[in-house]
Amino acid sequence: MGQDSEWQPRILGFLCRWCSYAGADLAGTSRKKYPPSIRVIQVPCSGRVDPLFILKALRLGFDGVLVSGCHPGDCHYQTGNYFTRRRMAITKRFLEYMGIDPRRLQVSWVSAAEGAKFAELATEMTRELKELGPNRLFTGEEQANGTKTAP
Amino acid sequence: MEQRLRLEAKALLEQGKVSCVIGFEVGSLRFTTTPLITGDRDATGRLVLNPFMANNLSVYLPGIKEKVAVVAKGCDSRSIVSLIQDNKVAREDLVIIGVPCSGIIDLAKVEGLVDKDRDEIDDITRHGDKVLITVNGDKREYPVREVLFDNCLACETPTPQEYDILLGEPTAAAGDESRKAGQEKIARLKAMAPDERWAFWRSEFERCLRCYACRNICPACFCERCFVEETEPTWVMPIPRWQDNLLFQVTRNLHVAGRCTDCGECERACPVAIPLRSLAREMYDIVSELFNYRAGTDKEAPPLLTCYEPTDVEDFIR
Ligand code: SF4
Ligand code: SF4
Ligand code: FES
Repeated sequence: MGQDSEWQPRILGFLCRWCSYAGADLAGTSRKKYPPSIRVIQVPCSGRVDPLFILKALRLGFDGVLVSGCHPGDCHYQTGNYFTRRRMAITKRFLEYMGIDPRRLQVSWVSAAEGAKFAELATEMTRELKELGPNRLFTGEEQANGTKTAP
Repeated sequence: MEQRLRLEAKALLEQGKVSCVIGFEVGSLRFTTTPLITGDRDATGRLVLNPFMANNLSVYLPGIKEKVAVVAKGCDSRSIVSLIQDNKVAREDLVIIGVPCSGIIDLAKVEGLVDKDRDEIDDITRHGDKVLITVNGDKREYPVREVLFDNCLACETPTPQEYDILLGEPTAAAGDESRKAGQEKIARLKAMAPDERWAFWRSEFERCLRCYACRNICPACFCERCFVEETEPTWVMPIPRWQDNLLFQVTRNLHVAGRCTDCGECERACPVAIPLRSLAREMYDIVSELFNYRAGTDKEAPPLLTCYEPTDVEDFIR
């Protein structure tokens, strides 16, 4: 892609407060290393994540979005994540049809005990997005030149 | 059939079974129809049935507080069922006058075929799977498939499944060849590289005026307050820049997922000819592929995104 090797993607993470947020917290307290590329917004449940949040994040220039909740069966509200699963399945497919690389939207189940999984996920996603390069979808720039214009 | 429709509609009004009839009458422009919404029994004589009745009349139903009769083609009747599923209209308030449909004529295709403006065409008549187009007294015959809307070519349910009165014999769903023709534009888009596809949609949405005709005509878009009009926060800027236009349309399609019946109204309403049906139908196909869900085919079924199966697709989740 020709961008400089220091370039760090910016990822917006929507983590449910009961599992994934606690998982990310555990990654921190257990001193697991992961890149500082992810910014976290806590949501009450992954079911709170409106696809509009994802589009808006991409529109604002985030390079990737992560939506993470409890494993199936473990949602604090019993079934919230099942609705998330349906909603995200169609969102991911439709974004792909628009021409957005599906790697820019990731969905995961991370429990409160899976600090290591969260750290790995953040590392992996960062690596993938580095491969993919900056999100210029909404900037109107055709050429990759390592800079971003404000949307 | 038209005669029977008029009689049925008149009788429904006379017997007080409905207070209003929603159907089609001849439009002010040639080869068009316009919705006729009337409680006047004499006006039922103006009702027509013809291959130009493109509108999906179910868009008038949400919030209606009286008993109404409504004329519905296959896709329209599914939109009605979808509204019933969403509690936007009660089944018992409706008399559905179902019309088995054999496709609606796309005037733009006719114009392209004979290379004439609609004002220069004398007549368009349909005879089975042929269409006769008269230009300057010269009659030309074409296969009807060449002049139907893409969504009609790919229609899965031309005959209404939900109705009180069915006018005429059921018509068959589109065959493979016809379906392929109706999906051709979408297939071309899917064959593009992702960047190319993004560039395509971007350039299309540079034209969007944000008139919201697509939203207003869509029976599946029934929110009283749309997210585009929210100001706290402002999700999309009201200025029609392509970025926000695109964001609006993608979100709209996500909102109508599982409700859209591929009636094609959005694309027809768009004043700047953005191929909106190529978005709507792809969502329709995604939903049917992933969840085997077909909008408006089961009035007892919960709406797509208000339910789940424990076995729903999960292969994309990490
Ligand atoms: S009808 Fe066309 S121009 Fe109007 S808002 Fe919809 S896409 Fe934009
Ligand atoms: S999105 Fe378009 S094709 Fe689908 S129901 Fe609405 S108007 Fe009809
Ligand atoms: S509370 Fe974690 S997904 Fe619902």
